[in-house]
Amino acid sequence: MCGTCGCSDPANEVKMVDPETGQETLLRNGSLLHEEHDHHGHDHHHSHEGDDKPHVHGPNGEIISLEQAVLSKNDQIAERNRGWFEGRGVLALNLVSSPGAGKTTLLERTIKEIGDQRPVYVIEGDQMTSNDAERVRAAGAKAIQINTGAGCHLEADMISDAVNQLNPVSGSIVLIENVGNLVCPSMFDLGEKKKVAVISTTEGEDKPLKYPHMFRASEVVLINKMDIAEVVEFDEAECRRNIAKVNPKAEVISVSAKTGSNIEKWLEVLTIN
Amino acid sequence: MHELGLSRNIVSIVRENAGDKAVTRVKLAIGPLACVETKALEFCWEIVTQDSPLDGAKLGIVEAEADTFLIKEFELRELA
Repeated sequence: MCGTCGCSDPANEVKMVDPETGQETLLRNGSLLHEEHDHHGHDHHHSHEGDDKPHVHGPNGEIISLEQAVLSKNDQIAERNRGWFEGRGVLALNLVSSPGAGKTTLLERTIKEIGDQRPVYVIEGDQMTSNDAERVRAAGAKAIQINTGAGCHLEADMISDAVNQLNPVSGSIVLIENVGNLVCPSMFDLGEKKKVAVISTTEGEDKPLKYPHMFRASEVVLINKMDIAEVVEFDEAECRRNIAKVNPKAEVISVSAKTGSNIEKWLEVLTIN
Repeated sequence: MHELGLSRNIVSIVRENAGDKAVTRVKLAIGPLACVETKALEFCWEIVTQDSPLDGAKLGIVEAEADTFLIKEFELRELA
């Protein structure tokens, strides 16, 4: 059928899993790559090889000026999400990091420490498995898992679907754990109030310089795994200097999600916003 | 990576504006901070336009400022 482009590949599916009930909802099916893809055989030929010749359909074809942002659809949905959150006094944060920086451990610690000060809901983004949503649920928060399949980031419509299902109460916190990736998620607004970048001491002090877009887009940067900083010879001052180079306004907090050290500074961010 | 999703967005926006009319050319403006890898975008372009009214449409890219990422214009096939 569509072996060439793989658009019917299940890896292109995006699904949402409620770990509590095990209920799965398909958000995008594998063939969505071509929205109205015509799989029936028909004659069409590719003319890419003639690209350097003057085009037959020529300069006389009608030119339609658009000037439309490619991400305008995502941005519209993100704005709607933002309005929804603001209207209910819900603080939504978008947590971004490379895989293994400790986002899920941070969530577990956050849920434990914040207790009943403010209800916490979690939207987990991963390519596969609902392991993280289950960990978060075990820690005591309501969670929804989104599996992006081949996708490398969450998009605003996925958040809108997840929020519909989570139905967070007024005044609560929605923590969105994005897919572990320091590149793509920086482009996609989800409707969050702030992006929070998590970097860990095992990653090297120059990560902010290597992935400047993400650190520039994040208002808060958490330096995690401070409990092993000495062992891995992590230079905190150097890391902070590098963050300041790409984003002088970022609020930088050094924590250990594992031991809970300095976690109160992070909780302040969650309770004053 | 995300260029596949981005090209899908481009195709969907152009189709919304072109209806079922065939499109021969799409012009984009991309800034250096847009985080868009043009080579990857061009690679995905052929795949996502296949079997659509944009099949064979040329992708033109002009440089722009900062994080600009716009569809500037598109050209419809001349009717016979």
